[in-house]
Amino acid sequence: MSLVHAEYLKVTRRKLFPVMTLILGLLMGFFGVLFFLVLPALPESAGGGAGAVVPQRPGAFVFGAQQVAAQAWWFAVILATAVFGGELATTAWATSLARESRKLRHIVSKFVVFAIASWLALLAGTAIWSVATFLFADGSGSLAASEWLGLVWKFGVIAAAWTSIGLGAIGLTRSIPSAMAIALGLSFVDSILAPFVEIYENVSLTAATNGIFGLAADSPFGALIPGGDMSLAHALAIMAGWAIVGLGLMWWGLQRRDA
Amino acid sequence: MSTGSPVVRVSNLHKRYGPTHALRGLDFEIPAGQLTGFLGPNGAGKTTTFRAILGLTRPNEGTVEVLGMDVPSGLPEIVKRIGVIVEEPGLIKALSGRVNVEIAADTLGFGHDRIDEQLDFVGLTQDSHRKLGDYSKGMRQRLALAAAMLGDPELLILDEPLDGLDPAGQMAFRARLRALSDEGKSVVVSSHDLADIEALADYVVVISQGRLVSQGPLDRLLGDGRIRVVVADRQTAARVLAAAGMKNSIDDGGVLVEAGDGSDVVRALADAGIYPSEVKPARDTLESVFLGITGEGDM
Repeated sequence: MSLVHAEYLKVTRRKLFPVMTLILGLLMGFFGVLFFLVLPALPESAGGGAGAVVPQRPGAFVFGAQQVAAQAWWFAVILATAVFGGELATTAWATSLARESRKLRHIVSKFVVFAIASWLALLAGTAIWSVATFLFADGSGSLAASEWLGLVWKFGVIAAAWTSIGLGAIGLTRSIPSAMAIALGLSFVDSILAPFVEIYENVSLTAATNGIFGLAADSPFGALIPGGDMSLAHALAIMAGWAIVGLGLMWWGLQRRDA
Repeated sequence: MSTGSPVVRVSNLHKRYGPTHALRGLDFEIPAGQLTGFLGPNGAGKTTTFRAILGLTRPNEGTVEVLGMDVPSGLPEIVKRIGVIVEEPGLIKALSGRVNVEIAADTLGFGHDRIDEQLDFVGLTQDSHRKLGDYSKGMRQRLALAAAMLGDPELLILDEPLDGLDPAGQMAFRARLRALSDEGKSVVVSSHDLADIEALADYVVVISQGRLVSQGPLDRLLGDGRIRVVVADRQTAARVLAAAGMKNSIDDGGVLVEAGDGSDVVRALADAGIYPSEVKPARDTLESVFLGITGEGDM
């Protein structure tokens, strides 16, 4: 537990995490204002007014959650790469004397704390969107308690997968820009390949995210969306697989080079 | 740990970085309970040696024992019993001194119960809530020493801890290291600064170009058993001492005599009616000894 506490202090006592959470919250608040206030006020010629496709309650809550999920990758990756990358760039990792002992415990502690921090930030982003939905969206009603709980654990899965990918990238490259470039490249390539390469769809993060959130369930274009007909078990297996790959790469990256 | 068994034993250590052969069959031992200076010119392999001792890099060949345990297999136990400052201490500037020490305690698996005591020992209690970014280099080094002391280690391994400190900071840091050594802890301090080691160490290990050059008690290394005799007539005194079987040489300060006991020198001179004004151990500076044994002109 002491290692978890050390990681907790590193994340919570620095500005990075609250600032990033604030940015995510502002982003979701901006989306809320855009969708619920600005878009309906625009003339129809500009895509607004009565012809605008504005999400309504209660579906708007899930719509917002999906937008937050789409932001998950950068949040988790930046947090993981910046905090651990900072340790690798200085002698902090060496000072922990963990290269030959307790390395696995260090990896697990970082993964747990960074994933939980990212998860909480995603929930905060969803909460801000939900407030905007509650205040400004047309329609009525809310999600059932079980649906809210469903969103909560699904964000945990997404955060865990992207955190491990971030840790794997930084463990492998030891460079924050390189690690972020790898994660960005993966996100980009994954979203390009998933709709067009059927085999890849079976391991795609994009498809798995869609599968977990049931993005295609109510969409007339469900069949065209990667992961639209993916089972929840399959989607979870993909996320778990990527998490294992990320943590494995982190372990290997730390093992093959000097501290 | 008894003073008889070494706390660190390095045998035939080789480390290569590509074409660079950083360590070339290095052998040495660090005695227990002493303040040992680990000395060598820049690029001699001091930091590489420390990194190999701590398992931060894997040697290509050779063995390392710390506190009687093999590295790396014994490291899980070793790290609980040592304190370390490796290169620039890995502290977080955005956090306060105290939070940094708390993180170090958590990371190394020690409790928080010794934090106040160690902050007090290094004289940082009052400043412990300031951000590390506001600390001077000397304060950061002292904080790193506090972090290294959290586990009440038997052995402290400090890589260039005095580097970059101002004279007052060096003096304060030296005093703390001496206090730790006087408590019976084994302390190893690397430095390329000969004056640092001369002022601090009981025992010295000198390496150059990845090999051991010399090791032993500092006094023996500097004194080498010679006695300096100050007399008015150096030529006559030298002849008398040579006739008494004592090898000697004349220098600007008097006559340097290779003798273990000063009373033999005084007796021989007095029998010949020569009364020296001063008889004292001829102590070289570490710099002159170092240059003599390594041939290094550039430290």
